[in-house]
Amino acid sequence: MEQLLAALFQLFEPTHLAFLFAGTLLGLIVGILPGMGGTSGLALVLPFVFTMEPSHALAMMIGVLAPTTTSDTFPAVLMGVPGTAGSQATVMDGFPLSKKGMAARALSAAFSASLLGGIFGAFILSISIYYAIPIIMAFGFGEQFLLVVLALLMVGALTGDNLFKGIASCFLGLIIGSIGTAPITGDPRYTFDTLYLLEGVPLVVVGLGLFAIPEIVGLLDSKGSIAKSLNSKKGWFTGLKDVVKNWFLVLRCSTLGCLVGALPGLGGTVVDWIAYSHLKQTTKDTSQFGKGDIRGVIAPESANNAKEGGALIPTLIFGIPGSGNKVLLLGGFVLIGIEPGLDMVTTNLDLTYLMIWSLAIANILGAGICMGFSSQISKFTLVPYYILAPVMVCLIFFATFNINRDWYDFIGLLSFGIIGITFKNFGWSRPALLIGFFLSSKVELLSYQTQAVYGLSFLSRPVSVVLIILCLATIVLLTKQKFDNNYRSDLIKGKLTQIYYILILLCLPLSMIWFTSSLDYRANLFPISLSIIALSLLVFILIVKIADLKNLPFLNNTLMKFARSNIFEISGNFNNQLFYYLSFIGFLLMNFIFGFPIAAALFINIFILFHNRKAYVSSICISVALMVILWSLSSLLTLQFPNGLIGLFVDLPWWLGGQLN
Amino acid sequence: MSLFSFASIGNADVNFAGKTVTWVVPFKEGGGTSRFARFIQPFLKKYLPGNPDVQIMHIPGGGAIKGSNYFEKNAKADGTFIFGCSTSVIVNVATGNPLVKYNLSEYRPVVLLPQNTHWFTRSDLAEPHDLSKIKERKLVLYALKTPASADLFHIWIYEKLGIKGAKPIPGLSSSGGYQAFLRGEIHLSSHGAANYVKKVKPEIEKGKVVDLMTLGIIGADGSVSRNPLAPNAPTFPEMYEKVNGKKLEGDDLEAYYAIGAAWSQASKAMMLPADASDEIVKAYRDAAIKMTNDPEFKAKAVKALGPFPLIIGEEAGEIIKKAAVFSDTTKKQLNAALKKHKFTYRVQ
Repeated sequence: MEQLLAALFQLFEPTHLAFLFAGTLLGLIVGILPGMGGTSGLALVLPFVFTMEPSHALAMMIGVLAPTTTSDTFPAVLMGVPGTAGSQATVMDGFPLSKKGMAARALSAAFSASLLGGIFGAFILSISIYYAIPIIMAFGFGEQFLLVVLALLMVGALTGDNLFKGIASCFLGLIIGSIGTAPITGDPRYTFDTLYLLEGVPLVVVGLGLFAIPEIVGLLDSKGSIAKSLNSKKGWFTGLKDVVKNWFLVLRCSTLGCLVGALPGLGGTVVDWIAYSHLKQTTKDTSQFGKGDIRGVIAPESANNAKEGGALIPTLIFGIPGSGNKVLLLGGFVLIGIEPGLDMVTTNLDLTYLMIWSLAIANILGAGICMGFSSQISKFTLVPYYILAPVMVCLIFFATFNINRDWYDFIGLLSFGIIGITFKNFGWSRPALLIGFFLSSKVELLSYQTQAVYGLSFLSRPVSVVLIILCLATIVLLTKQKFDNNYRSDLIKGKLTQIYYILILLCLPLSMIWFTSSLDYRANLFPISLSIIALSLLVFILIVKIADLKNLPFLNNTLMKFARSNIFEISGNFNNQLFYYLSFIGFLLMNFIFGFPIAAALFINIFILFHNRKAYVSSICISVALMVILWSLSSLLTLQFPNGLIGLFVDLPWWLGGQLN
Repeated sequence: MSLFSFASIGNADVNFAGKTVTWVVPFKEGGGTSRFARFIQPFLKKYLPGNPDVQIMHIPGGGAIKGSNYFEKNAKADGTFIFGCSTSVIVNVATGNPLVKYNLSEYRPVVLLPQNTHWFTRSDLAEPHDLSKIKERKLVLYALKTPASADLFHIWIYEKLGIKGAKPIPGLSSSGGYQAFLRGEIHLSSHGAANYVKKVKPEIEKGKVVDLMTLGIIGADGSVSRNPLAPNAPTFPEMYEKVNGKKLEGDDLEAYYAIGAAWSQASKAMMLPADASDEIVKAYRDAAIKMTNDPEFKAKAVKALGPFPLIIGEEAGEIIKKAAVFSDTTKKQLNAALKKHKFTYRVQ
C-alpha cells in the first residue's frame, strides 16, 4: 500500500509529469489521425525512450497508449471514420448524431465514458496485481506454451476479415520471427550470412513498416478530408448527463472491456463490437441504433478505454501481448531493461504501480484535453493529408535510423511497409503478423522447454484444460458473431491480383524449408513445421479463392461458405498506393545522397508542392519547424542524423548530417 | 623507446580539456554493462585531466559483436575512445566466434569489476552445501540461455562435479530460469551477486532454498577465497575436492582459472584501444584510483556495483589475456562437455 502511494508521489514529480504529458499529447494526435493508433505512436517513441530513465520511459509509453482510444472519437464522430481500430463501433451512432447536429453531445458523452472506462481499467489492473503471484506460480512452461499458442490462434481467428487468412497471417509472422540465430543450437537460419538478419529485424522497424506506412499511404490515397470542424459547443452538457444517466451501462461495458482486454491475444480490435452488441441485446427499444442513439457511443467508448487496463495484465505478468500496441510496449520494456513476469509484482512492483497511475492519469489528462480544447483539436481533422504525410514519413525515418543507426533498417522498414500495404489491401491481418513475429522465439523455446520438463503430459494439467476450453468457447462465440455478414463476392474488383499475391506469399515458407533443411534437426524443426502448416493454409486459401472466382458449386455448403466469407477484400486503389510508396523509396535515395536533414527538407517541400503548387509558404514553414524540433531533439538525446554520400566529400556540421562530435 | 618512457614520467601532456570521450558499450541501454558505464561516467569526467565530457554510445547487436567490431575499427588511440567490455564480449573471443574482428587480448584495461556466481537448490532436494542427493537424481534440470555464451561454463562445472543427471533446458534467461526454479520445474539454479542478494537471500531465509556453492574469488596469486556474501558456502575448488577426493589441479585448474577470469574477475571492464600510449593508460588508471577514493563513490559503489573491489593496474591486463585466450586443453574440455550434451556448437 505504501508503495502504491509512493508511486503516485513519484509520478507527480515535474519530470515524470512532463514525460507523461508529452506522451499523452502524442497519443491524442495519433488517435485523431484515422488509422494511426497506439501501435504507430509507440513505434515512433520507442527509438528515443532508451536514453531515458525507466520510470520516465514507462510514463511516456503509457501516456502514448492510454488516450488514443479517447481522441479517436473525433474522426469517428466528425468524419464517420474510426480513428483507431477500437472505435469502429462508435461510428455506428456517433456519425449519425453529428449529422443531426449533435456532434458536441456525442463527443462529450464519448470522452466522459472513455474517462470512466479508463479509470475502471486501471483500478481492475491494480487489484489483479495483488493476485498475480499465485497465478504466475501456477503457470509453468506447459501452461505458458498453451497460453501463447491460444493467444496466437485467437488473434488470427479474430483480427482477419477471413478466419483462414487471419490464421495464415499468424503463421507467416511466426516464420518471419524464426529468421535469425536458432535459439537451441545457435545455427543461422535464413540469414544469407548477413549480420543484420542474424539478429532478426528490429521490432520497431516491423511495427512502423506494418502499421504506420500503410496508413500514411492509405490516407494519401483517400485524398482530401471531408471533415467539418466542430463549430458549436451546444449539447456539451447533455452529453455529460447522458453518461451519468447510463452509469450502469458504463460499468457493464467497462467490465466487459477489461475482461476481453485481459484475454491474451484478443486485445483491442473486437472489444468495441462486443460492447455494442451487448448493448443491443440488453436494450428493449433498439429502434434508434444506427440512427444516432447516444448509448451507442457510450458503450464502445467505455469498453475500449477499459480494455487497456485489462490488456496490461497478461502483458505484465506473462509477457504475452494482447494486441499490436502491447507488442511494442513489451519491446519498450526490453529496451529499458524490464522483464515481464514475477519481477513485475515483486522487485519491480514500484514500476508496475507507476504504470497503473500513469494509465489513470493519462486517461484523465486525455479526456480533459479533449473536452477543454475540443474545437481546436477537431481542426486537426482538417489538415490535408498531403501536408501530414511527408512530415510523418520524415519522423518515421528519423525514428528508424535511431534504433540501431543502421542503414539496413531502412530496407527493413520499406520491405515491411510493402508487406503492410498489401496485407491491408488484400484483407490479411497485420496484427496477427506482428504478434506472430514477436512471439515466434517464445513459442519455439516454450515448446522445447515444455517437452523437456513435461513431455505431452502438460495437456492434462488442470490449468491447461481450463485454458483450452476457454479459448475454444471464445473462438466459437466470436467467430459466429463476426462472420455472419453479408459477403458479396461480385462487388470486388482485381481478384486476379489477390490470387497472384498468394503465389508470392507461398515463396516464404517454401524458401524457408529449402534453406533450413540442411541444418541440425533442433534448428530446423520449428521453422519447417511452421512452413508446412502455412503452406497448407495458403494452398487452401488459394483453392477457395479460385473457386470463388470461377463460382464453383462446391462452395455452397455451410462449411465452405464460412471459408469463403471475405476471401477477397475490396481493395483500395492499390496502384495509387504503390505510387506513393515509391515516393518513399525516392526519399530513401535522397537520404543516401544528401543525408537526412537536407533530404527531409527537400522531400517535404517537393511532396507538398506536388499536390498543391500554391502551398509553398506552408511547406517551407513546416520543413523549418520540423527541422528545428529534430535538431533540438538530437542535441538533447545525442541522436544522430543519417549522413549521406556527400558527407564523405564535404565536411558537414552535425545539424546537416555530419558526425555528431 | 627511451623517448617514450621519458615522456611518461609526468602526464602533464595528457589533457582532455574541451574534448569528448566516447564510451562504446556494445549492449543495449539498461543492461549491466550500460549501468556500469553510467555509474562510472560522472567520476571519469571529474578525475580525468581536463575534465572531458563523457558520452556513452550504445551499439547493441550480434551478441555484442557489432559494437565491439565498431570499436576496433573506429576507436582513436588518443584516449577519446573507451570500450565497455563484459563477460560475453570476452567469451566471443575465447570461443573463437568467426565474426569477431576485435583484438581484445591486446586492449589496455583500465578497470575491471569482478562478479561472482552462486549456485543453489530447493531445500527439499538437498542439504545446504551438499551435492550428494543431487548426484543421486536421475534428472537434474537447469537453465541454459545458449551454449554460445558464458552459460557454456555451467555445462563444464556440472560435468566436473559429476552430476550425471544434469540436463540443460535451452533458451532460459537467468531470471526466467529462476522463476521456473521457484515453480519447481527445474532443480539447480544460479545467480550473480546482485540478484542473489535481491532475490535468492529472502528465499533462503524462508527456508525454501539452500546454498550449494560459489565460484570463489580468485586472488592475484591464484589463491581462491570464499565469497563474503555467502561465507559458509564452499567455493568450486572446495566442492571439487570434496566430490572427487583430490585437489583441483592440472588441466582442470587451468580451465577453472580461464573460466574464472572471463566469468568472474573481468565480468565488466573499461578498456582503452590496443595502441593507446602508456601515458594515456596511466592517466586513466590514475583517474580510476582517485575515483575509488572519492567519498561519493565509496558511499554508492557497493549498492550499484556489488561488494567486490575494482581491479586496477597491470594485473588487469593479465586477467584479460587469460580470459580471452583459452588454451587448447581448456577448449578440448569445454568441447567434450558440449558434445556429451549433444550440442552442435563448438569452441573454436
